[in-house]
Parts: sequence; C-alpha cells; structure tokens
Amino acid sequence: MSDAGMVHPITVTINGERYARTVQARKLLVHFIRDELALKGTHIGCDTGNCGACSIIVNGKLIKSCMMLAVQADGATIETIEGLEAEGELTPVQRAFHEHHGLQCGYCTPGMVMSATYLLRGNPDPSEEEIRRAIRGNICRCTGYVNIVRSVKAAAGAGEPAAADRAEASR
Amino acid sequence: MLLASVDYTRPATVPEALEALASREGAAPLAGGQSLVNVLKNRVASVELLVDISRLEELRSIEASEGSLEIGACVTYDEIDRSPEIRAGHEIVSRVASHIEDQQIRNRGTIGGNCCLSDPTNNLPPLLIALGATMNIQSGSGLRQVAADEFFRGYFLTAVEPGEILRSISIPALGEGAGAGYSTLSVASDSKAIVRAAALVRGNGTIDEARVALAVVGPVPIRHSGMEEALRGGAATADAAREAAEAIGEDLEPIADAHGSTEYRRQMARVVARRAVDEAIARGGENG
Repeated sequence: MSDAGMVHPITVTINGERYARTVQARKLLVHFIRDELALKGTHIGCDTGNCGACSIIVNGKLIKSCMMLAVQADGATIETIEGLEAEGELTPVQRAFHEHHGLQCGYCTPGMVMSATYLLRGNPDPSEEEIRRAIRGNICRCTGYVNIVRSVKAAAGAGEPAAADRAEASR
Repeated sequence: MLLASVDYTRPATVPEALEALASREGAAPLAGGQSLVNVLKNRVASVELLVDISRLEELRSIEASEGSLEIGACVTYDEIDRSPEIRAGHEIVSRVASHIEDQQIRNRGTIGGNCCLSDPTNNLPPLLIALGATMNIQSGSGLRQVAADEFFRGYFLTAVEPGEILRSISIPALGEGAGAGYSTLSVASDSKAIVRAAALVRGNGTIDEARVALAVVGPVPIRHSGMEEALRGGAATADAAREAAEAIGEDLEPIADAHGSTEYRRQMARVVARRAVDEAIARGGENG
C-alpha cells in the first residue's frame, strides 16, 4: 500500500487553464508545475523553503511551492509568473522591475514578482518597510534589494520617475 | 527534491482523521506543512501516511466570546495576524504571529503546527504559556484539556499522544488591569530567536499576578517563578521590572549553541524578560 506508485487524482486550474492529472503523494507542487506541466517560470532555488524563488499564488495566497505537496493543491486555483502578462503586455510590477533594474541574474525574479504582486493586491500603497517585510521570504544574491524595493514602489505608483531612477541605477 | 514514498489521505471530518491516524503506525497529521514537508525532504522521520487535516472546517474557526478566544489548530499565522476578533482582545497574539518568518510561511503555517512541532525557537509557545492558554486535545474517546504550561514536553515532543490531535487553543480574556508583553532577541528581524520572553501582568498600580515565560533557554519554554515572585506585590513600574529580572540567575542554565553561550543567553534572558514585563505593565495601564 505504501508503494511509491500509489497515485492520487488531482485537478488544478493554473493561469486559467484546467489540468487533471494523477500524482504521487510525495510530489512537491513545484515539481508538478515545472516537470509535469512544463511551466518552468517557477524556479527552484533552495528546495528548503528559504529562498522564495518558487513563490506562487494558490487560492489567492502567496506560498512557496516547494513547501506544499501537489496533492494538497487538489481543487486549487493557481497563479504562476507565466499567468501575469496578458497578450504580451507586462503587468505594472513586471514593467517596474524592467525599468528600475529590479533584477540582475533573474533567478529570484519570478518569486520576487509574485511576492510584489501579492503585496500590492492587499496593500496598493505600501511603505518601504512594508515592501521589505513583504519580500523577506525572497532571497536575492545580486541586487542588494535596493532596486527591487524601488521597483515595487514604482509599481505602486509611489516611486520616483523611472528615468531618474534609471540614471541613478546605471551610475 | 524527491521525498520518500508516502501515502496520503484527506479525511472529511475530525473523527475520520482520528481513525486514519490510528489506522497505521507512521501516520502523521499534515496541516500547513511548513515544517513537516522539510522533515519529509530530509527523511529524518519515517512517515508512512500523511493525514491532511488542513481543510477541516472544525479546526479552522476563530471563536471570540467575552474577551476569551478559541483558535482552531489549523488557523494560519496570517489569519491570526488579520483576525479582527484576535486583534480586538489579544492584539499581542496577532502581532507575534505577524512576525513569524515570512508572508509565504504565514499563509500556510498553522498555530497548531507551531505548537505541536515544539521547536524550542518557535514564536507562539512562550506567549501561550504567559497568557495561561489551554490546549484542547481530541482523541477518538473525547476531548481533554492540558494547560499550555504542561503541553510542551521536550524537543519536538508535546502532550499530544499517538491517536490524538490538537483541536484548538483557548486563550482566556486578559481582564481588567491586565496587560501582556513579548520580546525577542533574534539573529535578524523575524529570524531564528536566540532568546524570547512573554509576560502577563495583572494589577492596578501594584502587581497582583505576574506570569513570565522564557523560551530558547532549554528544550521547552519555562515559567520563571523567581521573577514572578519578585514582581508579585510590588509596584507596576519599569524599575520594579528591572529589579525582578535580576532574579534570573544561576538557576537558569540555558542551552549554548552557535548563536549564544549559556552566560550570554542568561544575561539576554534578563533583558528580554524585563522588556516583556515593561510592555505588559504599560499595556495593563492602558487597560485599567
């Protein structure tokens, strides 16, 4: 009975598309999304729940998809980084990360963008401290966070003009 | 990461969950999974059957009546942080929950998981002890109550026996003239604690009752009766709190690790205990 082959049927809706699959209980949600559904935008950084690169939104809540089993997501509505842009249009958060150099190597970016998106849904005008607390679960080893915080502020409409920021960032 | 093979069931009711847990050795309840999933990755415990209790409505409610609270075991930290009922009567519970790790973990991790894991660095156990909470434990044969003081038994060990689950946590009303405080010394903001203290102080100008819980000084949070006695009957002032904290002496033999030696932790225990009592006195004054 505890055969690794024992599978469970699950149905999830990811970025508006419905997927019905069978999974082993031991399959992490992030592996299900990346390997079974080939949605590779959700990254795996640490696999221990520390880095936040695998952050996605499940039933409206930001979570780390390496800290949840796929079988636990049965029936869930899920948003991943691939679902943000619509018809080639970046969201304000994505545009702000681009314009304010909120990324360097880009590895943490999908998780960072999901965390920023989640923050701004609940708090459209966050303070710098609120932004920093909101991305506490996302580790970036390149930027030192300064441009990420600036990007989130800009996306919230609270930042300085993008051009001024660009000049400063390129110094 | 590939986990060891495991079975999974998602019962629809608490009795069904208890039955599933009793059905097989190696059955374990799965709530938010923010610790258990890593345990499974590291293969440090042999879990054969995961009983997913996270969606059981019976474990997901927050009930407030006349200032007291009953919080279901599967209520998440984020729900505790945002609950108007908890913020109204026990703001400190919301505040402490809001500083657990990060947003992603707060959206999944549960108060029951925080307690049942019994990791000595966890945020909520010392607070629940200071507030005089009661842990409601359910088994197939009924419900039993264990004081939070008696619930934590050792590293990763609690009063919950095989075949039982923690159903909810009851927190009594603070009452008139009572205030609670909480203080942590941590490596970085909201990260692993080096030492924690929580306090409850009751009285009007003079302290009638004081409860001081210290955590990360040993396998489980403890009440410091010496400091409590030193506070009782004294003035509700910051000076009295500072003096009473001196009662934390050689009797406290904290654990030593990479984050702090025994002596460092003892000294810092005095500091956080004083801060927690200071806050409790100040808040009690507002609540007079």
